[in-house]
Amino acid sequence: MQELLVKQGESKHLIITHVADDSAQWRIRQEADSVLTVHLFCLDADADTVGDVLLDIEQIGGHAETYIYGLGILTGKQHISVRTHVKHSVPDGKSNQLLKFAVRDEAQGAFIGELIVAPHAQHTEAMQTNRNVLLSPTATMHTQPQLEIYADDVKCSHGATTGQIDESALFYMQQRGIAPDEARRLLLAAFFHDVLTTLKEPEVEDRLQRKIEKLL
Amino acid sequence: MLEIRNLHATIAGKEILKGINLHIGAGETHAIMGPNGAGKSTLSAVLAGHPAYTVTEGEVLFRGKDLLQMPPEVRAREGLFLSFQYPVEIPGVSMTNFMRAAVNAKREHEGKPALNAGEFLKLMRAKRALVELDNKLAGRSVNEGFSGGEKKRNEIFQMAMLEPCLSILDETDSGLDIDALRIVAEGVNKLHNADNATIVITHYQRLLDYIVPDYVHILADGQIVRTGGKELALELEQTGYAGLV
Repeated sequence: MQELLVKQGESKHLIITHVADDSAQWRIRQEADSVLTVHLFCLDADADTVGDVLLDIEQIGGHAETYIYGLGILTGKQHISVRTHVKHSVPDGKSNQLLKFAVRDEAQGAFIGELIVAPHAQHTEAMQTNRNVLLSPTATMHTQPQLEIYADDVKCSHGATTGQIDESALFYMQQRGIAPDEARRLLLAAFFHDVLTTLKEPEVEDRLQRKIEKLL
Repeated sequence: MLEIRNLHATIAGKEILKGINLHIGAGETHAIMGPNGAGKSTLSAVLAGHPAYTVTEGEVLFRGKDLLQMPPEVRAREGLFLSFQYPVEIPGVSMTNFMRAAVNAKREHEGKPALNAGEFLKLMRAKRALVELDNKLAGRSVNEGFSGGEKKRNEIFQMAMLEPCLSILDETDSGLDIDALRIVAEGVNKLHNADNATIVITHYQRLLDYIVPDYVHILADGQIVRTGGKELALELEQTGYAGLV
């Protein structure tokens, strides 16, 4: 477990790309007016990777902001679990989580998103979104949003969906001459697009985009 | 161009097409009309290769080749275009990327080099003008947030980009006001020439005032029950399907 304190007024950006070791397990505390941005990329080509990602984050000072953006392509027999535990302990905090996974072959994925707003943490704004696409009948994704909201003057929302590639879109693209593999690539690139653009670094985005295309 | 012989097709075990015969020559425009549930949209879906339908009997020759053996994308590259009754929204995939993939897939199939970005954008601009499609729409995701009329215009725009040999317009008039109908029909007419053919599938005579067919076929219960010239559509308008079927 790694520990991190984001001090008052500081901004920290954490990028996690190795999910199979303890560099993917974090306990982070945020002081007042701090900003934490975490990017998680599960793009491991190894078919047997077992990964356990934990982001245990607590806002202990007011007006802190927490952003968690993640995407993953789980392949082979990979078994990857991502847990986020975001706790708003004080008022006026913000958090936004957007995590998207595509799961293929016999891979298994899990997203457990715990969001806690303590009784005194009024004016908290917290959002959590998890979207998943299953690319084969043997792929599985377990998603479990868990919201515990004890303050009453807050704005919180969450959404979790798991589905397949849109068959009608696939046929539409095929009818225009696009091969199914290419159509799937375009659809999945579109699926991940909003997560990638949160990087705000076009060069890194391009590199990851190529890596994504290789895994699909 | 297209030769359909004794075509039977089912969906989920239910027979919808029950022996269709149709010959379409180059330069011709055919209208297929018929009551709801007659099999009009099924015919277009089967020709395009929609996986939900199973052909149980018959054959279809497209430019001398066995159409039914080809996967949908090869049918498209060979020059078969379906204007969808309900064009699909594809969030996140830009019209530009979508059309570039489609145009270049067809060019590769024809042994031509891919268009570079400059050539491609020039082609987009030229074809967009044909259906008065706004530049902003072309910059958006495929059909996302388009109005009914914009979606249909976007179909004809794609048709212009791909220059198909055979275009099937499935209920292109549905949901169009008179101005949109005129723009769409004018686009279709401009694209028509002696080497290509058009199938217009429609419930109403209205569209055929703008796209004038050489032949009109009445489809009922999975079979073509009457064939005539454009006057057949007018007769239908007078008597309704009950008088003919």
